[in-house]
Amino acid sequence: MKYFKAFIVCIALLGWFSNVASAARIEISAPGEKTIPLAITRLLPMPGTTVSSAVAVEFQQVLLSDLELSGLFDMVDSAAFLSDANKLGLRSNEIDFYQWRLLATDALIKGGYKIDSGRLTVELRLFDVVTRRLLSGRRYVGKLTDVRKIAHKFADQIMLSLTGEKGPFATKIAYISKRTGRKELNLMDVDGHNSVRLTAHKTIVLNPDFSPTRKELIFTSYRNGNPDLFRKEIYTGRESRLSLKQGLNIGGRYSPDGREVALTLSKDKNSELYLIGTDGTIHQRLTNHWGIDVDPSWNPEGDKIAFVSDRRGNPHIFIVDVHSLEVTRLTHAGKYNATPAWSPKGDKIVYARLDKGVFNLFTIRPDGSEDRQITFGAGNKEHPRWSPDGRFLVYSNDLNKDKSIWIMRADGTGGRRISAATARDSHPAWSGRW
Amino acid sequence: MQKLTITGLALLFALSLLVSGCAKTPAQEDPMPEEKTIIEEVKQQEPTVVIDQAITEEEAAAQALAAEKAAANGLVRIQFDFDQYVLTDSAKGILVSNAALLTAAPAVQVLIEGHCDERGSDEYNLALGEKRALATKSYLVSLGVAADRMSVISYGEEMPIDAASNEAAWSLNRRANFKVKR
Repeated sequence: MKYFKAFIVCIALLGWFSNVASAARIEISAPGEKTIPLAITRLLPMPGTTVSSAVAVEFQQVLLSDLELSGLFDMVDSAAFLSDANKLGLRSNEIDFYQWRLLATDALIKGGYKIDSGRLTVELRLFDVVTRRLLSGRRYVGKLTDVRKIAHKFADQIMLSLTGEKGPFATKIAYISKRTGRKELNLMDVDGHNSVRLTAHKTIVLNPDFSPTRKELIFTSYRNGNPDLFRKEIYTGRESRLSLKQGLNIGGRYSPDGREVALTLSKDKNSELYLIGTDGTIHQRLTNHWGIDVDPSWNPEGDKIAFVSDRRGNPHIFIVDVHSLEVTRLTHAGKYNATPAWSPKGDKIVYARLDKGVFNLFTIRPDGSEDRQITFGAGNKEHPRWSPDGRFLVYSNDLNKDKSIWIMRADGTGGRRISAATARDSHPAWSGRW
Repeated sequence: MQKLTITGLALLFALSLLVSGCAKTPAQEDPMPEEKTIIEEVKQQEPTVVIDQAITEEEAAAQALAAEKAAANGLVRIQFDFDQYVLTDSAKGILVSNAALLTAAPAVQVLIEGHCDERGSDEYNLALGEKRALATKSYLVSLGVAADRMSVISYGEEMPIDAASNEAAWSLNRRANFKVKR
């Protein structure tokens, strides 16, 4: 989080984002550590619009849900709002900041909407109440059905204005759902809405990963009678097999530059990690051991890969250097550690540990220090994956036998279910910037 | 013990050579043996009994089919211990009778499926299931079943027999089972 401070100071020094100098007063060191009092007013109808309170209500719900999850804000109770909340004025000189100071809020969101022949326009403003300045002003134009998307985009924008880094709310989550009775690949928004099924393989589809450069997913499927690695373009629906070696073709993970895929192959009668190109040709074998080697996860620099191996007996997390092929052991505690995911910031690796019959999530630094538990209690929490900004985690949770996708802050707080109940969902992957 | 026996045998052999050698030394000329007329009875060549090929083929086919059926129905799945792919003694016992069924039905191709219980990570279990299937296959090979008749696939924890979460279900689900392909 020091990174954010540094970022803000940098911008302030550059002087091109003049209002940040005052916003730096709203200093954020860690989620939950210090929160900003924030007032979100309801969108008001702008002149010439068809009035739709449904749009205003839905927008507010989505924005509130995103910003609450961020843990950065302390929401001011809307029941206490005074008359300014009902005035459309969006310019700083039209706003009665004094009213908002009375409510002890530091930041204020105001906005208006216009619905005109099927088009939705939303005007939004984020103000610093203390300095009475505009921090961010955006206009979004879309279809009526885009209201959720607009709210997510503005939530990302608010995080950018206040922390120097965009939020991840306008991105996508891919996951495996057994809703049809078979495991198939699905896609949804970060809050679980707009879910769509992408495959109809009617066999077993497993473990997706997003391309960092294209709107594309890779996953394993038994469609052709062998666990092969598939590639699917999300918008065209075009699908092909990327790796179809005899035996396992599993756990595919794109390199950060999108040029290679790390995966487990067992073509030589034992599971080993390999690098293949995006044309499916083998570039390099990364491991050479009789034990089980699975679950690769790249560091953001693309020169190291964390993985799971039982080469010392029980499954533990190891790191292999992609150039030297040197393998070092990362975890020593616990008896069963699996599914590592390297933070896009590079500073942490999250993984699942099986202890007393239950999986819980832990984070550890790449040098093996600060190995700490971040989730507790019943319900297996597995398959953690980072948001593109490294501030949140998405994971599978089978609490009360309800297999579903959950999301939380990187420190383990704020956990909430995002996928629909009783859907039997698991194995999420978080997209990059969408 | 074995060494002793071999030495004993060698001694005996050497002795027998000596004895026979000794027996030969006094060269005694044998009288020419009398010539005897050898009467050979030429038997009429009897035609071999013509075997009805059709019936034999049918019978053979029926026998093969029976063996294949026996293999298809008789191949018994084996169970594994938690996080293990080492064959237990009881699994080995089952594989001996499975091998006999497969040897009796040489036309049968078999798919060995490796499975795990739901505990543990699914990627790890895919690899573990494959190790179980491969361990099963190599034991059958050691019992004389041709390797090219057997293929393996791992389903990890994806296809449990019993979806319950208890020890009974888990131990049932940790298995290698056999599917006959014709």
